[in-house]
Amino acid sequence: MTAPTSRAVDLPVRVKLAMHFRLLALQGSWNYETLNGTGIGFAMEPALRYLPGGIDGPAYRAALARESRYFNAHPYLAGIGVGALVRAELDGVDPARIERFRTALAGPLGSVGDRLVWASWLPFCSLVAIGVYGAGGSPMGVVGTFLLLYNAGHILLRAWGLRIGLSRGLNVASALGSPVLRQGPQYIGYAAALVAGVALPLALQRVAGPGRGLAGGIIGAALIGILLLARLREHAEGWRIALGVLAIFVLYSVLT
Amino acid sequence: MGIHLYRIDDRLIHGQVVVGWGQPLNIRFLVLVDDLVASSDWEKELYRMAIPPEMEIYFADVGSAIRDHARYAADPRPGLLITSDIASMHRLVNGVKAIGSVNLGGIHHRAGRAEKLRYIFLTPDEERQLRELEAAGIEVTAQDVPSARAVPLAEVLEGESR
Repeated sequence: MTAPTSRAVDLPVRVKLAMHFRLLALQGSWNYETLNGTGIGFAMEPALRYLPGGIDGPAYRAALARESRYFNAHPYLAGIGVGALVRAELDGVDPARIERFRTALAGPLGSVGDRLVWASWLPFCSLVAIGVYGAGGSPMGVVGTFLLLYNAGHILLRAWGLRIGLSRGLNVASALGSPVLRQGPQYIGYAAALVAGVALPLALQRVAGPGRGLAGGIIGAALIGILLLARLREHAEGWRIALGVLAIFVLYSVLT
Repeated sequence: MGIHLYRIDDRLIHGQVVVGWGQPLNIRFLVLVDDLVASSDWEKELYRMAIPPEMEIYFADVGSAIRDHARYAADPRPGLLITSDIASMHRLVNGVKAIGSVNLGGIHHRAGRAEKLRYIFLTPDEERQLRELEAAGIEVTAQDVPSARAVPLAEVLEGESR
């Protein structure tokens, strides 16, 4: 069990802020060999300086090398991993245990993040933005709504993840069981369905205008789209479709 | 129904499994076959957190997976079986004659492995085991997500699809 108090929890605020900002660059060094492992090491580095011996000590070098190896997690939830691994390193947990923990943690962070963000939050934000278009919003209003909503969600998620990782350490599994992460995708899905029911008719009405000339074409295109989705099924990814539809409405609103 | 996909992926359960394959195949149970994970309570707890509430997960070492395979195969729900390495799948296939195809979903870089596809890196011994699987009549293809092309083993080993 992790000790109730830890040097990781007491890290200076500037170090935690540095880790948070570095997490924003997590994907910057993404590659097919280490995936986002290098980014994980980069985000942890400010805290690893607090290991015995500092940046010239063997503990720092060993930890940085260990934490920069292959790792694959959802970038927005990687903060949980960074926080938990920082705590484990500063608490002097056996490196073999850290390696095993690192391997076991990556998959769940990817799975939970993909369900929550790519499959739920991103389509939801896209639909809200389409709703803004349907309500008469300008192109800037549509794009601005999407960016504001989407970025608020992921920045909050990153900040929460880092905090919870630092405070729970190797016991972080309970955090992954939080209702927001477990049930969140389901409820965001319900909300997205509700928003879609309002936003899409409004948006289509705006495209069609007062006349009935375009209405038949829109209904026909929608039917073809539904058939294509049913046909493609496993080849169609929800987040791509949501962003594609949003892009079409934004382009249309710019051009008309 | 039973098991729809036998996958080798060193990340075990992650987004490509739960969302990428899980949603289109409507997967309702997962069988995670790994000798180390099966004997570690804290790792099992972590992997339980990785799956959505509507899915069930079973943990097994290779031996018990061979013993229980008939039960998984008879399950009325669609399922997915996953191992973290080729050796475990090789042992499983040798013990269960009913497996007809194996999916290579992700075997990543490690010292001694050479790149075959962007998500497949293999040691010579792993290549040999995959050839043995194919020689035994198992269809082996690499496909990380359903929207990607299934790459036949011969093509994977030649590294032509990079």
